Amino acid sequence: MAVTAADVLFWLLALCAGVSGWRVFATDSMVRASFLLLLSFLSVAGIMLLLAAPYIGIATVFMMAVEMMVMALFMVMFMMNPAGLNPMMMVHQHKLAIGAGVLAFLGLTAAILLTDLPSDPVPADRAVVHDLGIELLGDSMLVFETAGVTLLATMIGAVVLSSRRGRYGDADTGSRPPGLEPGGDPAGREPEEGGGGHHHHHH
Amino acid sequence: MMAVAAFVSLFALLILGTALAAVMDRAAVALASGRPMGAALKEPARRAAALLLRQKVETERPDSITWPLAPVAYLMLAAVGLSVVPFAPGVVVTDISTGIVLWGACEALTVIVVFLHGWSANAPMALIGGYRYVGIGLPVLLLSMFVLIAAALPAESLSVVEIVRAQEAGLWNVVRQPPGLALFLILGLMLTLRGPFDYADAEDLAGGTKAEASGPHRLAWRVARLAMLVSFSAMAATAFLGGYLGPVLPGPLWLVLKTVAVMAAVIAAGHMLARLPPSRMLTTVWVVLLPLSFLVLVLVGVELLLWP
Repeated sequence: MAVTAADVLFWLLALCAGVSGWRVFATDSMVRASFLLLLSFLSVAGIMLLLAAPYIGIATVFMMAVEMMVMALFMVMFMMNPAGLNPMMMVHQHKLAIGAGVLAFLGLTAAILLTDLPSDPVPADRAVVHDLGIELLGDSMLVFETAGVTLLATMIGAVVLSSRRGRYGDADTGSRPPGLEPGGDPAGREPEEGGGGHHHHHH
Repeated sequence: MMAVAAFVSLFALLILGTALAAVMDRAAVALASGRPMGAALKEPARRAAALLLRQKVETERPDSITWPLAPVAYLMLAAVGLSVVPFAPGVVVTDISTGIVLWGACEALTVIVVFLHGWSANAPMALIGGYRYVGIGLPVLLLSMFVLIAAALPAESLSVVEIVRAQEAGLWNVVRQPPGLALFLILGLMLTLRGPFDYADAEDLAGGTKAEASGPHRLAWRVARLAMLVSFSAMAATAFLGGYLGPVLPGPLWLVLKTVAVMAAVIAAGHMLARLPPSRMLTTVWVVLLPLSFLVLVLVGVELLLWP
């Protein structure tokens, strides 16, 4: 069997996806981990393009770029690690994590080896993007819309739950620095009325 | 043959356009400050030469991979983004059915590249610029996707080639959806770190993400910003102003003229409009501009249903 350019590209992308995926857990920075994971996803997106899935491949690049950027931002915001610059361990619960990782690897490998995967080249003139659109907004609409709305609700819920407790007390009671002495004037400048958005502070 | 023509056109537009953008940028400053315009022709080259000769300054423990790579990646994204723009019927580097999505991916990766440029220097001003830029850049990105989908709706295709063809058959998108172009220009300001959307490289942070960049690195970053301006302008000209369409003159010339017009508009807006504080801009983008872009999309959809 002759090795084609697509084969070489596939193995290169697969290697890049695997190595950058492993480096996610070996690095010591939240920002590096996020963008190494992005590199892994970009490689997978390249493989999808090789599989003649132009929409899913490029949409993966777009979505993952935005998601990893948001993830890096939120991780740095919620972890008490100033600006994400301090080195930190990116793995925890080592024994459980190793066990889960090995189990998942074995399971997925078994699934790949035991499944009779189709070898079904896509005809060049097939309108794959059109077909995908019909599928997403046709038979599979309920599944995708349910998943989408659930994810959105989860995201909003997570932000609401995690952002209520602010640095200077609960966010919904107004953000006001603590006094220099108990009950005294707040340290630093008080936020101007309406300047920072929706906070109403007490006088 | 067409592929060679497309590649040559892409690099010619990118290189000459970047040089022209540099001159136009200086000319705008000269025009606003009343200085002689003649210097604008030579000043970019003189500044570039000076930057090339200047020594490199090292920060303490920068990220050794992303710090030097960020300007290169920025420039590459400008080239990839431009590759979906057709220069004439059949002359396009990346003729794929999802060209608009590819452009969107370049937008998203640009935000990451600018952030990494600020983060990797390991210095305070650059870091603040990077984080501040992400906060504003992400919602502007969402806004641009609504606007671009609206521009693609009349073509019933995500292919940029088809979007131009639909404008040939019907009206140019700027006539059909003028607020779309105005909102899309905001994306241009954001992608090229200009004026009211320059939260990354602004002077209030002593240069922001480029504060620690010196010598050839700083030059590369400037060139990449200008190249992205060319790429964005060509995309705006194609999605809203009919691209290579136009009477009498040859198609590629029309594309160049429209690209230069968009470039002039973005440069003028960048120099003339003031910047809001980040928190107020964030509220404005999420509460006003983003719903507005969604409204544009809805209106275009309704219009196409009523007058297909």
